[in-house]
Amino acid sequence: MRGARLWKIIRMEFRLTAVNRAFLILTILGPFLISAVTVLPGLLSTRGGLGGNAELKIAIANADPRFLEGLRAPFTQNRIRVFEVRGDAPSLDAEVLAGRFDGYLILPDDLTEATRLRFVSRNVSDIRLVGVLQGVMGQAVVALRLAEAGVLPEKIASLTRPPVIEARQIAASGEKQDRDFLQLLMTGLTLGMLLYMTVLLYGQTIGRSVLNEKTSKTVEIMLSSVSPVELMFGKILGKAAASILQYGVWVSMTSLFLKLLGPRFGVSISLGGGPWALAFLVLFFLLAFFLYCSLFAALGAASQDEQNLSQLTWPLIMFLVVPIVMISATIMSPSAPVIVVMSLFPLTAPLVMFLRILVGAAAPWEILASIGILLATIAAVIVLSAKIFRIGLLMGGRRFRLGEVLRWIRS
Amino acid sequence: MIELRDVRKSFGDLKAVDGVSLSAGAGEIFGLLGPNGAGKSTTIRMILKILAPDSGSILFNDKPISEEDKPRIGYMPEERGLYRKVKIGEMLLYLASLKDADPASSARRLDEWLERFGLLPWKRRTPEELSKGMAQKAQFIAAVLHDPEFIFLDEPFSGLDPVSTDMLREAVLELAKKGKTVLFSTHNMEVAEKICSRILIIDHGRAVVSGVLADIKGRHGKNSVSVEFDGELDTARLTRLGSIISRFPRFVEMELAEGTSAQEVLAALVGTVSIRRFEEVAPSLHSIFVQIVGKAERGGPEARA
Repeated sequence: MRGARLWKIIRMEFRLTAVNRAFLILTILGPFLISAVTVLPGLLSTRGGLGGNAELKIAIANADPRFLEGLRAPFTQNRIRVFEVRGDAPSLDAEVLAGRFDGYLILPDDLTEATRLRFVSRNVSDIRLVGVLQGVMGQAVVALRLAEAGVLPEKIASLTRPPVIEARQIAASGEKQDRDFLQLLMTGLTLGMLLYMTVLLYGQTIGRSVLNEKTSKTVEIMLSSVSPVELMFGKILGKAAASILQYGVWVSMTSLFLKLLGPRFGVSISLGGGPWALAFLVLFFLLAFFLYCSLFAALGAASQDEQNLSQLTWPLIMFLVVPIVMISATIMSPSAPVIVVMSLFPLTAPLVMFLRILVGAAAPWEILASIGILLATIAAVIVLSAKIFRIGLLMGGRRFRLGEVLRWIRS
Repeated sequence: MIELRDVRKSFGDLKAVDGVSLSAGAGEIFGLLGPNGAGKSTTIRMILKILAPDSGSILFNDKPISEEDKPRIGYMPEERGLYRKVKIGEMLLYLASLKDADPASSARRLDEWLERFGLLPWKRRTPEELSKGMAQKAQFIAAVLHDPEFIFLDEPFSGLDPVSTDMLREAVLELAKKGKTVLFSTHNMEVAEKICSRILIIDHGRAVVSGVLADIKGRHGKNSVSVEFDGELDTARLTRLGSIISRFPRFVEMELAEGTSAQEVLAALVGTVSIRRFEEVAPSLHSIFVQIVGKAERGGPEARA
């Protein structure tokens, strides 16, 4: 392989990808789209669903007026207004269906003995509302029980407040860090989604570009000048450089947006684990990116048209999805044999190994082995795709069978 | 000097190239002739190392071709293709730079070639905007822009109008005069006849005729006559004396059977038709080609398009 030629191919591929209107527009608009996608869900879930600030109306029947009075304050804090009503289930059903209330509760006569209260509403999937009901009603009933048992009213508040669990992670160095499951989950999801989006976006582009080289017949003239391996490396590196440039613009602009505007909308992004975690995130992101890019290049080389290419790509997407689905399992049991194997298997390694590093479960040799395997796989896949490329394209438009592909690889 | 020795290549059961040998020296124009599917492109692809031969050797100046030789080679593939979104000038300079050509001199040569083919106004256009003939001339420039020693052209004349064909033919002749080795494949016999010093006719992967064009003509053209006439020709009279190569209402060309003289043909014709021209000729390359390949086609086990 010749460095100078490779460099020329990289430059041309970069130019072909980056210097066109669509790419520039996408680069500039991307951060707005990403911000919209990131901020909107946050807005929706913190502002009480699509209804925004609308107050919810809950009817409570058969309640002692003094008991009900005690509920008003905590409910109001959660933007819920309670109404004291009389009536039986059928009449209240009608009221809810008519839209006068969002839901109702009929308290039993022996409230202190109750083990469950039934809430009827047209929409029970509003998790926030159900959560608030559980908290407020639960605490009120427990307080009622304590009062009946003769506990002084001023003591009840402190007695019914449960302690909050704060998780702290201990590292091998003995250093302890505040860490919670949710934050780890979000960090894992961040890398997972980054990879998923990137591969969908750019992997396909690279696959198509290799395919185009075949269908546009440029390839023969290229191969009379450069080796297939040079062409493949050049294509992948050139396209990847353009992609990373675009991605860099997006990520930095988006984080700037979120930093400036995020607090105003109540959205924050934070990665668990500090600068080291960030470094590993970038490292494994790049490794995964190049691995999948070269795999897509190989698929582009093996397919004859776009339809064929997209059929071939779905198994690859599966390998991206599985580790994302397993993020919580990975965080909870990072040393389970399956997880350890997945952290070394190249297609799943980037995300799984990153998570294991994040929770402090990966030994240094495991990290090095994972990186080594990834690098070796990337090189092998590029060489392989060059081989498939060279032979596949000269076979013309024929559809080929798996056996044939294996024969080419051996030849 | 380029030399092929008993080169073979099979694709599965199909023998694409079956023992082809040839050699072409500096300043020579070598024509690789044959019908479609004969193995011409496969042969060229093997010379360029795009395909690997199953057996046989391919030598450039007595050494097997290596990656280092690639800059000394120019290639115009049968499947034309330039990046659709890149301007012609930029694309051609890019291809030359991949051949390690000096940027300044390729830029100078680019303008000369574009000027010569009337493509200068198209330098900043993309291949999408070019007509087929213009794209083909651009592809030819891609093959020669880096001033290579060996030039391989796969069907360079197919689909060109007569004016463009002449332009390209002149360019090829000029390159040979400068000492380049030019090898091209074609089934355009007229062009081949005008510019080739050596030819090889290949059919079903096998070399059927090869050598210096003049010798081949001498070998195949001894007992051949062409007649222009008026009147009704009774071909039965002639088939006793030889085989008819081409027959038109007022023209016939025939190869004489062993031991038959042109005078006997003339005698047979006198009185039956009015003879306007009678000539003992070396057959055109076209007729040699039709004769040889046609025979193989009729005798061969499988017919090809």
